[in-house]
Amino acid sequence: MARKWYGMVLVMAAVVGLWSVAPVFAAGEIKVGIMAPTTGSEATYGKDMENAISLAVSEINARGGILGKQVVTATGDDACDPQQGASAASKLVSEGVVAVVGGYCSGSTLPTLKIYGDAGIPIIIPAANSSKLSEANPGNAFQINSTGADQAVTAVKLFKEKHVKKLAIVDQGDGYSADLAALTAKKWKETGNEVVAIEVINKGEQDDSALVTRLNSKAPDAIFWTAYYADGALLIKQLRQSGYHKLIAVGDGSNSPKLMELAGPAAEGVFCFSNPTVEYLPAAKAFAENYKKKFNQDPGPYSALAYDGMNLLADAITRAKSADKAAIIKALKETKQFKGIAGPISFNPNQTLAISNFVVLVAKGKTWSLYE
Amino acid sequence: MSNLDIILQQFFNGLILGSFYSLVALGYSMVYGIIKLLNFAHGDIYMVGAFTGFALLSVVSGVLGDGWGGIVVSMILAMIAVGFLGVLIQRVAYRPMLNAPRLSILITALAVSIILYNAAMVLTHGEFKAFTVGLGYDGVQLGDVFVTYTQMVLVSATAALMLILHLFISKTMYGKAMRAISIDQDACRLMGIDVNRVIAVTFFIGSALAAAAGVMAGVYYGRIEFSMGFLIGLKAFTAAVIGGIGSIPGAMLGGIVLGMLESFGTQIAFVGTAWKDVFAFGILILLLVFKPTGLLGRTEIERM
Repeated sequence: MARKWYGMVLVMAAVVGLWSVAPVFAAGEIKVGIMAPTTGSEATYGKDMENAISLAVSEINARGGILGKQVVTATGDDACDPQQGASAASKLVSEGVVAVVGGYCSGSTLPTLKIYGDAGIPIIIPAANSSKLSEANPGNAFQINSTGADQAVTAVKLFKEKHVKKLAIVDQGDGYSADLAALTAKKWKETGNEVVAIEVINKGEQDDSALVTRLNSKAPDAIFWTAYYADGALLIKQLRQSGYHKLIAVGDGSNSPKLMELAGPAAEGVFCFSNPTVEYLPAAKAFAENYKKKFNQDPGPYSALAYDGMNLLADAITRAKSADKAAIIKALKETKQFKGIAGPISFNPNQTLAISNFVVLVAKGKTWSLYE
Repeated sequence: MSNLDIILQQFFNGLILGSFYSLVALGYSMVYGIIKLLNFAHGDIYMVGAFTGFALLSVVSGVLGDGWGGIVVSMILAMIAVGFLGVLIQRVAYRPMLNAPRLSILITALAVSIILYNAAMVLTHGEFKAFTVGLGYDGVQLGDVFVTYTQMVLVSATAALMLILHLFISKTMYGKAMRAISIDQDACRLMGIDVNRVIAVTFFIGSALAAAAGVMAGVYYGRIEFSMGFLIGLKAFTAAVIGGIGSIPGAMLGGIVLGMLESFGTQIAFVGTAWKDVFAFGILILLLVFKPTGLLGRTEIERM
């Protein structure tokens, strides 16, 4: 009997030994984390980001990798939920990634900054753009998307052009949309006009009729929805159904073809503020073709920025001549006019994008087109 | 809009919202009444109903179109299919646990909920589906108050389903057996009532009503997704508690009361949309403090 035991212990020791040796084999690789909501209400965007980053990675690897090392990725699904975001971040940290590209929802990205910060891991954020992110930044986060403040300026400009007097704003109470609502309200009041309502829809709520009645009773000239497409589509539909025919505008979180699909004909004429999407970027033509070839679908709104984020990281590692986390952060800080397909990337002292990149779109015949 | 118009419009809003809550609350209340189980999977059955109706409509609409004809047929088929799913769940997950402590069966109910939720997530890839039907926005305009024909049909359909249920419970032998079982299961068994069969029928009806609500919500709001059952499950449970859980007229009343609380809560200046749920659930707590059995609930007599 005793012999049998020795045998088992030996086998177990061998297994444990193999496990601890495994990371040595992986030393020829650079492991990059992708954090995106690949399930849940924002899954469409999350998958787009994940796809765009994998496309960038496969192109980098085809060119021989970074510093002669192949890039591998690990995905953490934050499901656009703060708690899941924190566990996705812990998962990526424990898997030993040297850097992270990702962050779609500001609310779920916010709690991850400290987790990455404590581990010294740099994170390049291609989409999430609440001003809370730069306030909470422990020094390792880099936002390559324009922030909410830039969007509020673009929104106020459009409302003034359209001779709006009374503005109503609806958000979803989360980090991103409440922030954009407050910023827009502040900027709108500065122009001497009135904000008649700032209302909230709970996430996943289907029936907005009570809110719609309340909004109509205040007779706004324009209604601005600052949150995401899935609930925005229902609000637009119910507003139009109630007989509201004036201006409706939606924030960049609602910039999706899904909005038209869910809202149907009610979406016609709705304005949307958007970060530069692939179809309006001449430099992104090759990217769009390769994306379509690889994934058999068109790239979504944040795929260009996610692609830029991964390439920016590769560039920073090359400049740093090392995959050391602190060296990557230093190199990212020194980024000067990196040529992304969505525009040049340089950083403000608080590590947000230095040059605004918002455009105005309008829904016409089931697609978004550029509004002149 | 004048104040009267606002009150009227919010009344209709509350009525429509409330009819969905009532239909789902009925399932909670019936199951609780008969086997004292809080069926946590009920909200997910509502979601499965919506998806089943959606799938059936895409088949049926080829023949009957996507107007009322197609919708009614696919709704009835979805009710039958989901009713049998309810019976299956009851047979597999609840019946073996009927004599176990209540906590064990509560946990199986949670497990069923998680299974349905995740299965739907995987099957639909976590995406939102547009439930497109050929119903317009036409309706009746009374001053500033506007009610669409679709809304009227939905409320009438809910009322009709509830009436049928009421007749079933009060006039048929099965209904009588259900009421008897909710009072004393063992005595019923001694009287020769097939208790398991009656419980299965209860699950069938509860699930079919949830499916009807799911299909109607899909048609009305035009959007379905795997997590749609969570919020309404919670709210319908609340409605059942408001009305007095276990009581069937209570579930109907509770749903309407909750719908009204939400829509009028929105209109109260310091409540607004952000706090309307807090308002509605605050009223629930007050109600439970002063009338723990709910509006129409019976006082339980603990027998020794």
